[in-house]
Amino acid sequence: MRKESGFSLKLGVFVTLGLVLFIATIYFVGKQKNIFGNTFHLNAKFKTVNGLKVGNNVRFSGINIGNVNEVELLTDTSVMVDLVIRKKYQEFIKSDARASIGSDGLMGDKVLTISPGTSDKTPVKNGDVILTKNAIEMEDVMLSAKTSVDNAGVITAQLAEFTTKMNTGNGALSKLISDEEFSNSLQNTLVNLQTASHEFALFTAKINSGGLSESLDTTMRNIQGATKGLNENMEAAKSNILLKGFFNKKKKADAKKAAELKKEEDKRKKQELKNAEDSIKNIKALVPVKKVTGGL
Amino acid sequence: MVISLKNGFTEAGNATLFVARFFRELVKPPYELKEFIRQCYIMGYKSLPLVAITGFIMGLVLTIQSRPTLAEFGAESWLPGMVALSLIREIAPVITALICAGKISSGIGAELGSMKVTEQIDAMEVSGINPYKYLVVTRVLATTLMVPLLVVFADGIGILGGFAGINIHGDVTMYRYFSQVLSSLEFLDIIPATIKTFFFGFFIGLIGCYKGFTAASGTESVGKAANSAVVTASLAIFIIDMMAVQLTDLFF
Repeated sequence: MRKESGFSLKLGVFVTLGLVLFIATIYFVGKQKNIFGNTFHLNAKFKTVNGLKVGNNVRFSGINIGNVNEVELLTDTSVMVDLVIRKKYQEFIKSDARASIGSDGLMGDKVLTISPGTSDKTPVKNGDVILTKNAIEMEDVMLSAKTSVDNAGVITAQLAEFTTKMNTGNGALSKLISDEEFSNSLQNTLVNLQTASHEFALFTAKINSGGLSESLDTTMRNIQGATKGLNENMEAAKSNILLKGFFNKKKKADAKKAAELKKEEDKRKKQELKNAEDSIKNIKALVPVKKVTGGL
Repeated sequence: MVISLKNGFTEAGNATLFVARFFRELVKPPYELKEFIRQCYIMGYKSLPLVAITGFIMGLVLTIQSRPTLAEFGAESWLPGMVALSLIREIAPVITALICAGKISSGIGAELGSMKVTEQIDAMEVSGINPYKYLVVTRVLATTLMVPLLVVFADGIGILGGFAGINIHGDVTMYRYFSQVLSSLEFLDIIPATIKTFFFGFFIGLIGCYKGFTAASGTESVGKAANSAVVTASLAIFIIDMMAVQLTDLFF
């Protein structure tokens, strides 16, 4: 009997431990999937869900807060996604929060991400339909990438054509590249140009250092001094004895000329006076005749 | 050729009758509860050390072997999840069932075979005890219920072995390891794997009993019964496993 109770105890412990282990695993896995504990539902309407499946994670600020519970096609262009989210996160999801579908890594599962709304809005309620953002589809990206690739194709084709022309044609560029003579002459030109510019640089340096400008300045001052001297010479010549006669004669000639002008003027005045006297005489001669005839 | 075919069909018919009789005797009272518990103790508790060591080694080895491949992708963080998944879904049930086939099925085959050879079974029948009920039903029921429990232990200990294996190269805390394991598990991984272990247990017990119960007279047939019990049970485990996995794949 003692032996029997010994083995039942061991068996009991064995069975109990096994069952506890099994139930604990079930419980924790279930907890992971939000089957137990407080949850609430949210709905989101998408045009396309990009392969989102039941059981995919729901993320909010990077934290897994729930799972996708159901994906249902409503109409031909809209899909309703039902989310189960832990109750304790409800207060953080505001009514203007937006759901979007992304990918967890390059090869990972799809993830439904809820981006937070503005903090002054009210929290969502159980069963609410939240706003959504349409996900960037891989096909769209591919399509735009294809356009770029096509353009790149055109560009490279033209570039190839241009290169061929340059290598085989006769234009300036092709000459530049393929004609040795031309390139030599161009090189010579460049060397000459280099020399010229070097000289010019030296010249400029000289000017800047003041040699030329100083001499120019001196020249100007000399010229100024010369004109001043000339002026003085003229004054001196006026008062010189030898030249006094010349200047006096010049003065006399001027005076004579003025006197002659005066004489002529007088003569003209006398003539006018005489003319006037003559005309008065004529008038006087006419007037007595009239008197006679009037008396008759 | 014809004779061996005929023998094969006769064997299949006998086995079917044996199974049918098991279910008939199972529901019919009286129940041999005390014998059932004793068998549970022998088959479950006594097999635990063997299963625990196997499970631990499987977890450890699986982790060490998977690491280089995953490290190549830089996905070493998936190691706990991967080890736990392969342990729970496939390795722990099959390895535990094979161990039990070797230990329990051969034990039952040898025990019942020797009882049959020494005519103890006939003696029981004469003394008014239903030998089928007392010997077969209790043993088959015990294996059916104990093998799943042993598999649960193997799962748990194997995952611990995986933890040891990961800490050979890396440094992962127990909490982080188990949270990684749990996050990779789903009910779909646990439930079908658990259901199939009941079938494993049932067939381990049944094949052992059948081989022992149908042993021919003579001492060497005891060894034959034990041997063929192990071989048939092991083969049956793989066949059941294949069917179970295909069914799971079909429905989920």
